[in-house]
Amino acid sequence: MDIELTINGETTTVEAGSEQDLATVLRQHGHIDVKCGCDGGTCGASKVFVDGDVRMACGMAATEAEGSDVQTVASLGTQDDLHPVQQAFVDNFAVQCGFCIPGMIVQATALLDENPDPTEREVREALDDNVCRCTGYQKPVEAVLDAAGRMREEGVAADGGRPIGGEPADDTAMGKPADAGGCCGGGCDE
Amino acid sequence: MSDSDNASDLDDGPDGVRAEEEATGGTVEGAAREPDRKAPDEREAITTDEEKDDARQIVTGEARYTADYRDRFPDLAHGKVVRSDIAHGHVESVDTSAAEAMDGVYAVITPFDDVVPDTLYSSSGQSYPEPSPWDLTVLREHVRFVGDPVAAVAAEDPDTADRAARKVEVEYRERDAVFDPEAALDEDAPQLFETDDVENKQSGADYARNLESHFEGELGDVDAAFDAAEAGEGVHVVETEWETPYQSHCVPEPHATIAYTDEDDRHVFITATQVPFHTRRQISHLFDVPIRDVRVTKPRIGAGFGSKQEMAIEPITFALHLAAGRPVKLEMTRQEEFTALRFRHPMRMRMKTAVTEEGDIEAMDLYTLSNSGAYGTHGMTVANNVGTKPLPIYPRVPNVRFSGDVVHTNLPMGAAMRGYGAPQGHFAVESHMDEVARRLGLDPIEFRLRNAVREGDLDRSVAILKDDDRFERTIRSCGIRECVERGKEAIGYDDLDQPDEDHRHRGVGMALIAQGSGVAGKELGAAQVKMNEDGSFHLQVGGVDTGTGADTMFSQIAAEVLGCPPEDVVVVAADTDLTPFDYGAYASSTTYISGRAVKNAAEDAKERLLEWGATLLDEPPEVLDTGDGAVYSEETGNRVSLEEIGYEATYGDDEREHILGDGNHSTDESPPPYGAQFVDVTVNEETGEYDLNKLVFAADCGVAINPALVEGQIEGGEHMSLEYATSGGLSFDGEGNPEVQGFRQYGMPRTTDHPPMETILVETHEPTGPFGAKSIAELPTNGVPPALSNAIRDAVGVRLTELPFTDEDLRAALDARDGDD
Ligand code: FES
Ligand code: FES
Repeated sequence: MDIELTINGETTTVEAGSEQDLATVLRQHGHIDVKCGCDGGTCGASKVFVDGDVRMACGMAATEAEGSDVQTVASLGTQDDLHPVQQAFVDNFAVQCGFCIPGMIVQATALLDENPDPTEREVREALDDNVCRCTGYQKPVEAVLDAAGRMREEGVAADGGRPIGGEPADDTAMGKPADAGGCCGGGCDE
Repeated sequence: MSDSDNASDLDDGPDGVRAEEEATGGTVEGAAREPDRKAPDEREAITTDEEKDDARQIVTGEARYTADYRDRFPDLAHGKVVRSDIAHGHVESVDTSAAEAMDGVYAVITPFDDVVPDTLYSSSGQSYPEPSPWDLTVLREHVRFVGDPVAAVAAEDPDTADRAARKVEVEYRERDAVFDPEAALDEDAPQLFETDDVENKQSGADYARNLESHFEGELGDVDAAFDAAEAGEGVHVVETEWETPYQSHCVPEPHATIAYTDEDDRHVFITATQVPFHTRRQISHLFDVPIRDVRVTKPRIGAGFGSKQEMAIEPITFALHLAAGRPVKLEMTRQEEFTALRFRHPMRMRMKTAVTEEGDIEAMDLYTLSNSGAYGTHGMTVANNVGTKPLPIYPRVPNVRFSGDVVHTNLPMGAAMRGYGAPQGHFAVESHMDEVARRLGLDPIEFRLRNAVREGDLDRSVAILKDDDRFERTIRSCGIRECVERGKEAIGYDDLDQPDEDHRHRGVGMALIAQGSGVAGKELGAAQVKMNEDGSFHLQVGGVDTGTGADTMFSQIAAEVLGCPPEDVVVVAADTDLTPFDYGAYASSTTYISGRAVKNAAEDAKERLLEWGATLLDEPPEVLDTGDGAVYSEETGNRVSLEEIGYEATYGDDEREHILGDGNHSTDESPPPYGAQFVDVTVNEETGEYDLNKLVFAADCGVAINPALVEGQIEGGEHMSLEYATSGGLSFDGEGNPEVQGFRQYGMPRTTDHPPMETILVETHEPTGPFGAKSIAELPTNGVPPALSNAIRDAVGVRLTELPFTDEDLRAALDARDGDD
């Protein structure tokens, strides 16, 4: 069946079988930044924003995403203009093989939007269902704390420089820009 | 213009005199133009935290792994494997008709099809001829564990392939199975292999007893030493036993392969492999096609940890491709990773030592019984490393014996996994040494340092299983004492606060660690440097970056030689059509072997740079060097940029040359990196629960080319080691059915399960390594089980000997202790 949804700011119609999960459908439509590392719902690699909430895309029927706003890690920044969370992952050497990283960055971004000044414990709890086999989680956790510091300094969340997920009108949604927000550099409609 | 070297020319006499010269600043042959040892302030591109070259692609989600290439193939078929659901038996018949009748099914293959060769092979990605037995076929008529591949399907989409696979009906003639390695050795046990089912070059095979290999080696006279100890005064004999479980690699990206045949009739594999060149050779062997007609490429890879040092799924993918006549992609599920792919071998070990009152070790005797599972890939070689990695920590012990049996059972196959036998071996040896010290009333750390390796030692135990002394090695770099000192300080060894509650006790344990740097005498790395006219370079290297950052490290080594920034070195790696040969990413060989080949290639190109610089500057090449993007004169300070040289060499009026360099590296050397793992634990004596307060790992990997990447290796290695100690393991029911099917049932530590980790790098200079580097990737996988066993012993006086340590185990040990009181 055909499903209409918005993916990284672009409204589009995709074909999906009634039993197909969202991760599979996104990947079939070229969104290879959505990774699949398990048979569903246990590794965190497929995390995306659906209407501002973090979801494991593999654990959700594609049909359930009808009409929703889906954002993947690719919406956050570009290689030349990284989102502060992405930049912190690069600068802190938090990526090794990288397979877990899209899901981890989506989750970390959501955390910092909700809690701009988390403790290390809070970061660890937020990432607890993102499995990573390469890093021992040490540098990813350091990266998230570093990103939090940078974002507070730069006031990124406050000025809406990088909205993620959510309708602009809904300011309770995680990751949404504040009203004054400018263009997100690829992740929004502006 | 070839620069090839073989570092065996560095072999020392037993006195190690040369080694000391080298360690104090000598130069390495083959690097004669400039000393290999650089003081920190002379380094430009090395020992810096150079950004990982693919980090930006990864964080933006643009990095492409094998399955992400699906969009390049509009007619791609999707594969699915049909696996045995019995532990032991023979396939009587396979009914594929229902599957074949389905719309969208392109091919169903069985062991009886022509496109499926019945040639024997080994899936181990090892050098030729593989030491592992050739005991596999692409699909299996004789199934030997629950999960053995019997048939496979290719269909238009994954769902159709799944449904078709479920419609394949297999009938078996079931046979008795055996699951315990000791029981499997019994003459009456079900036999997994007839002798002519296998080509086995390993020592001591006896398939009538399911014995894949038996091996033993001895230095001195161990029995005489124990006899003397038993008879005499003042020498204590201590014997201990240890047991380890299966461990899953939990490889982040499940195995994936795309196979197709291009318009030139060449067979191409895009595949998640650590060993492209071995895979090319093995595909050629198995399908009887010339090596030159096979191309194996490795895109980004979601790590390997040894699981992808296996040609595990490429043959099935290729057979499906031949049958379907279109490109085929086969991806494993997580369930297949946990049940049917590859694992760390479970083992039972026995360690016995004779030690004097003062703490001198007179004799060591280590035995291992390894459960190889259903097939023999890496069976003997992993078991060999149980001894040959940790025993060399104590190279001056005069009497040493090491022996082992590698046994088949009807369970999944063990294979290469990061550490490669060393994690099992270190658990036995380093827990044993701690126990000895405590029983003798010696300080466990002092006792070990008294006997531990020093620079200049001749290590014979590393070659204990070899027929000749070619692989005995002189230790040229060893920072193990500084690792211990700094680790002690970081963990607070000398002033540990005890908790206030009486039933909670805190303890610290330590394990000494060693690994190797490549397989001695069985490695080859090669690289080529090509200059571009703008002063940048392409580096073509066979070495395989499995996600560790090896490509970045290569660019740093090349840049350090060429005098340019690492970003000016474009790395093209691990493609059997485009890059020079390499044995692949295993045995901690990439920095030491492939990195040294890169250095040699860069030095070869540098000679040409200096010649061109000499012409352009009108000065003799002997006074010139590279640095800061130029060739400059040490005498006059004049300089000519690499870009000027590039344009002049390419487009000049008088003479033209493409500046190229090539380098090889092969060697009999495998210098050990060293480490010390510390664990700080608090045990609740009432419940048996324990909390890890902190992990400290201090590592001597020689010169760390990229310290941040090295730290990442250590933290990730410790993570696996933590799992091995506390939570990993597979279980099976009485029929051999796997009970662990996914992450939900498997105890992989999550973020919140990790105690704080502190990492310390102790720099030494390994004269045979590139700029003094040794390996790092496997070293940190070895330490937590022994260090935690030792820490618990320190805290509450009980010894845990079976991994993983559960609260129940600890509670039972505490009860036994109190019962004995
Ligand atoms: S693939 Fe979605 S959580 Fe693992
Ligand atoms: S970086 Fe490899 S799984 Fe996280």
